[in-house]
Amino acid sequence: MKFDLSILAKHIPFLLEGAWLTLQACTLAVVGSLALGLVVGAMRTSASPLLNRVAAVYIDIFRNIPFIVQLFFFYFGLPEIGIYIDAFTTGVVALSIAGGAFTSDVIRSGILAIDPGVIEAAQVSGLRKITIFRKIILPIALRASVRPLGSVFINLILTSSILSTITLNELTGSAKIVASNTFRPFEVYFVLLVAYAALTYAVSILIGMLHRYLNRHQEEGAV
Amino acid sequence: MISITGLRKSFGAATVLNGIDLEIRQGEVVSVLGSSGSGKSTLIRCINGLEKIDAGKITVDNFDVSKPRELAEARKRSGTVFQLFNLYPHMTAVQNVALAPVEVLKVPRKQAEAEARELLNSVGLSERADAYPSQLSGGQRQRVGICRALAMKPSYLLLDEVTSALDPEMTSEVLSILANLAKGGTTMVFVTHEIEFARSISSRIAFLDKGQLIADLPTEDFFSATGMALPRVAQFLSKMRKD
Repeated sequence: MKFDLSILAKHIPFLLEGAWLTLQACTLAVVGSLALGLVVGAMRTSASPLLNRVAAVYIDIFRNIPFIVQLFFFYFGLPEIGIYIDAFTTGVVALSIAGGAFTSDVIRSGILAIDPGVIEAAQVSGLRKITIFRKIILPIALRASVRPLGSVFINLILTSSILSTITLNELTGSAKIVASNTFRPFEVYFVLLVAYAALTYAVSILIGMLHRYLNRHQEEGAV
Repeated sequence: MISITGLRKSFGAATVLNGIDLEIRQGEVVSVLGSSGSGKSTLIRCINGLEKIDAGKITVDNFDVSKPRELAEARKRSGTVFQLFNLYPHMTAVQNVALAPVEVLKVPRKQAEAEARELLNSVGLSERADAYPSQLSGGQRQRVGICRALAMKPSYLLLDEVTSALDPEMTSEVLSILANLAKGGTTMVFVTHEIEFARSISSRIAFLDKGQLIADLPTEDFFSATGMALPRVAQFLSKMRKD
């Protein structure tokens, strides 16, 4: 068999459409899981036993169920009880919820790693709880969490390929279609492989830059 | 006035403070001495509300620190300097100093930062005002810590072993600043192991032993026959002087 990428030329616009959809879904899901992770991470470290418990249950549930099962439940299960959500929204929401469980865990450990003395200093200076969280806890925790968050987000991008199973023609979905139309799965999936690798590599470079930028003054490992 | 009556504090089975009565009036410099584990730092942490007290009462200008609403007012009136500095690592010296005035006292940011620079200038850090804590030496960090406490214009300065983490040279940088503040009339509660320095700046010495206040004397009395008449004080002083 001959390895011939040129046969894919006329399918490139279609594949790019899929890539664009992947990019949109992943961007929204990264934002969603970060927002959710912040809230749940804060709950998980709060003094309130109730908030703490609710957060812990959420994390345990969504970390311990295969993503594809969660996705099927949302997309095929919920309509049974009268809840219809389109594939794209379902995908983004499911990715955000699943990603949020991992994100919140990373943020929680970032918060727990903060020197308690620093927080005490903020308390005695009379800052309100919410101000301490916004101005002290969050910026310090996020700086420490950039790299592990990056791993979570990369995982999220890779997991987004599963959205192809609920009729969403994102990158993987559109590649599957091209593969079955051209009967050239080797070339098609080779391109897919390179595309995901390039996407995640770009993200990890960005994360590295962000980490270095945010921690540029912490060279002594102060945090 | 900071007023402490019948203060008790335990950590589990260990009673750290066992019935402390102490008053600190405006303008006084009170040094709290005692061996390690005598409860000195816990006393400070009770005054600024970092530890919940088990019994007794602490008021700062009549605000009861055990009541959450009043604690906020009490905290506005006292500033704490910590042994390990506890600076905000992601903020420059100026930002560390200006944060609370902006957020708590609602001073406009520009004005707060200008005042922060002035304070840093007064402790010889004008060149380092825009440095981050990790870029400063221990002595410089502690000077920023002092400025951060002073920026809130507190009536009382609570100093918790502020030189214990510093080498002798840095210690003297920090002590000379405290001596100036004392001269300027700042009220201070000074928990320390620096006996000679405490003697030189304090108006009174409070001596803690095993959670009890066994001496509360004017400085000159503490270091003379009156203090020496107390066996634990005599023992402590002779031991510290030998070291």
